[in-house]
Amino acid sequence: MIKFVNFCILFMGLFSQTLFAQTVSRADYLKGYEQRAAHVTSFYDTTRNANYYSAAAKYAHNVNVAQADSMVLVLLQKPSGDMFWMFPVIGAYLHGKDKMSPEVKAAMRQAWKTYAPYRGDTENHWCMYYASLFLATEQWPNLPGSEWYNGKSSDENREEAKAYLIHWIKTTTTIGQGEFDSPDYLPEYAVPMIFLAQFAQDAEMKERGAMMADYLLADFAAEHLAGQYIGGFSRIYQPAVYKPLLSPGSAFAYLYFNTGDPSQTGWILFPALSNYRLPEIIYDIATDRSQSYIHKERKRVRNVIRFGSEKNPPVYKYTYMTKDYGLGSLHGGILQPIQQHTWSVRFTSGKPYITIFGLHPYWSGTELGMFFPEEIKTMIADVVASKGTYNKEDKWTGSSPYERTFQHKNTLLVLYDITSGTTAEHIDGFFPKNLEQRVVDASGWIFCKAGDTYAGWYPLQESEWKEEEENWRLRSHQLQNGYVIEVRSQAEIGSFENFQTKLRSHLPKAQMQPNAVSVDYTTLDGEKMYFAFPEVRQLDGKPVDLTKYKLFEGPFLNAEIGSEKLTMTYKNKRRVLDFKKLTIEE
Amino acid sequence: MQRATCKQIVFIIFLLIPVSQTLAQESTVYATVVATRGFIVGAKNPETGLFSQRPSDDTTWQHTGSKNTRAFGFAVHTPARGQLIYIAAGNGLHKTADGGKNWKITTGWEITEALWVSIDPKDPQTVYTATAYGIYNTSDGGATWKQMNTGLTSAFTSSVIVDHVNSNMIYCSTEGGVFGSKDGARSWTKLGLRVANVRVMAQNPRDNQMLAAGTENNGIYISRDGGNVWSKNEAGLDHATFYTIVFDPNHPEIMYAGGYVTGVYKSIDGGRSWKRNQEGLTNLNIHSIVVDPANSNRVYAGTMWGGIFRSDDGGATWRQAGLSGSQIWTISIQPF
Repeated sequence: MIKFVNFCILFMGLFSQTLFAQTVSRADYLKGYEQRAAHVTSFYDTTRNANYYSAAAKYAHNVNVAQADSMVLVLLQKPSGDMFWMFPVIGAYLHGKDKMSPEVKAAMRQAWKTYAPYRGDTENHWCMYYASLFLATEQWPNLPGSEWYNGKSSDENREEAKAYLIHWIKTTTTIGQGEFDSPDYLPEYAVPMIFLAQFAQDAEMKERGAMMADYLLADFAAEHLAGQYIGGFSRIYQPAVYKPLLSPGSAFAYLYFNTGDPSQTGWILFPALSNYRLPEIIYDIATDRSQSYIHKERKRVRNVIRFGSEKNPPVYKYTYMTKDYGLGSLHGGILQPIQQHTWSVRFTSGKPYITIFGLHPYWSGTELGMFFPEEIKTMIADVVASKGTYNKEDKWTGSSPYERTFQHKNTLLVLYDITSGTTAEHIDGFFPKNLEQRVVDASGWIFCKAGDTYAGWYPLQESEWKEEEENWRLRSHQLQNGYVIEVRSQAEIGSFENFQTKLRSHLPKAQMQPNAVSVDYTTLDGEKMYFAFPEVRQLDGKPVDLTKYKLFEGPFLNAEIGSEKLTMTYKNKRRVLDFKKLTIEE
Repeated sequence: MQRATCKQIVFIIFLLIPVSQTLAQESTVYATVVATRGFIVGAKNPETGLFSQRPSDDTTWQHTGSKNTRAFGFAVHTPARGQLIYIAAGNGLHKTADGGKNWKITTGWEITEALWVSIDPKDPQTVYTATAYGIYNTSDGGATWKQMNTGLTSAFTSSVIVDHVNSNMIYCSTEGGVFGSKDGARSWTKLGLRVANVRVMAQNPRDNQMLAAGTENNGIYISRDGGNVWSKNEAGLDHATFYTIVFDPNHPEIMYAGGYVTGVYKSIDGGRSWKRNQEGLTNLNIHSIVVDPANSNRVYAGTMWGGIFRSDDGGATWRQAGLSGSQIWTISIQPF
């Protein structure tokens, strides 16, 4: 009898796994992947547009090689682009070195002697710079410094590049990435790692590349929903901040997760040409949304060089994922200059590009001076030359020292205690025009609906609406301010009317005085949240300690601070990336 | 003289010719361009880095070294007559030992955002650099570099100078104030200036006890006892943020200073009072000033985005002198 029961339990377990397992077999996934990769590369095989991407595709597929040679020769006459030059050039070389003409090979070599790319000033710049340089030195070993643009020998350059890449990997896997979870900058990290995985001759660097490609894509997968990155981001551009599929990360979602939009970036070409294949478990994590889940992460602030006591303060990130929407937030403050996206909810249902978010559109020379060494009084003009919205009161990206969040599942509290006289003495909320409904209720709640998903926004201070081309802007001019966000799907709460009815009886109590900004709120699920600006967070009367966040913590990804180890879990599958041992366990 | 013969006069003139040639010998002006307007890493940018000219070149400048580098400070070892130069740049310390024919980045990935570099005038193998992550030095001509932050309470350093009398005595400006080291940067002590965010330091070329400090938002401070006691010199100063202070090498009581929207200030009494000169300056954000040692009336000012301006009347009037549209971080004039 006991054996029979055990058999039944085992059978039910297997049956339940089958019920929730992805319907795509590995063979079918790989077949689909090859089709998507071919879709990406086919354009570059035939285009006459002269760039290193199309040359690389032609070399890789051994088509129109003479055309590729001509392109490269012309392009190499006027090199520019620093690390954005380095990686496609070495990519084209690695795909074409056995097919290109001796003249092109010689021109490639000469370019690495005479054109001096700058190393840049961000984490993604360095990642591209050193990965490309590492691969180049492997292709041209044993050359003296006179044969390289920076006067260093092949050995010196290779050792420096390797040392930095190992340092970056160790930092990322111990205290988190600084330029983390960026839908726009994911390719700048993933492509160099995929390059290393495919082309590095150094076996350890090859393994590191493959493991870091897994790591970055797993990081994306856990917060991926229908082609979108979910949560708070270190960096994102307009308009991708309000049109989520318009980011290069979406093309990676297309190639690897069979979602997203392949047309978003040329960056996707090199992954599509590569022999790197996404591990099955990462695809599973990216696509199975049969269960809602909480996913927490700890990242780090990029190097603070002044106006701060800590070089890399922690970033605490909280994301709630469902099949219909994802609500995510960073804990707030200045965590990354210029393009931070502190929180948002993004929908899968309804029309495309449904996202709601808010911010204090702050800017300052001091903020820039925390991260860049130039003069703080003139730096705003420097930044605006390339990031034109930085000092605009209507901008939709950016960090603020006067903003903090407290999220619990699908409820988010956001508070502001803004110092008078600072830039932008208001807060803004973004409501897309393609919401099916946006109802300003007498209770104070703003009810929104798109498809089967509903969002409620309760402003804690008086606000006003302004109609704009893409959206409605909810602006509030009070310096002590905030709002409560509730998100539910039809599956969670039933009808939109029911959502509204329930929220009408859940009204927050707020205190809005300078240096005394707080809110008490009981969620739709009956949990009591108390939040006092800046860092007092309580759930059902108990303090919420953000410092206990792990590097990754959730049903799919787990990693301890300092561990250099990431454990991926999906049902009965497991994959452990151990960067100390440089091993992958499955 | 009345009895001098024609032959004697011709002979005297003949003797004087080489002297006058020496006096008329031109200096070399060097300047670093951090960026040009709209500079974006990864874009097709105009040339940045180290430029040089003879004063007679007027507005024409020659580029040397990497053409695509955010170059901040630089140091020319004067006795080597332009053969030995270091550039402090966003990507490390660039060095040439052959007058710019060949360059090498002497630092690795660990050293970045280098803002200032000084060569020990008595030992050119020893070099100091101020970076966003602290002071580094080399004692083997750039083969190896060490971080030298012991005693610094802030790692963000913007200038480092070697005392011209005692080269073990080093000074640096930091986010946390002014620091001095008596042992070649092995250890640092905070000096008497109780002001944060010091952007630049300068030392009187004739009196090593006289130091000047330019600050962010707090004006100019001067010490006459090697950094123990500092006084704020406000007479005539209508601005508060200063990125550069220099002494006239021939008349050190004459000083120039510039900073955020300041134009060029001049003092003729050792910094006790200042007068602002801006006639002809179309850009008032001044980041660097230098006085020609061969002609004290010739003064150059490097601006943020306005290129270089030149005065031939001791700073009374100015005219544009090239590199228009560039952000000039540092200027130096060498007597060769």
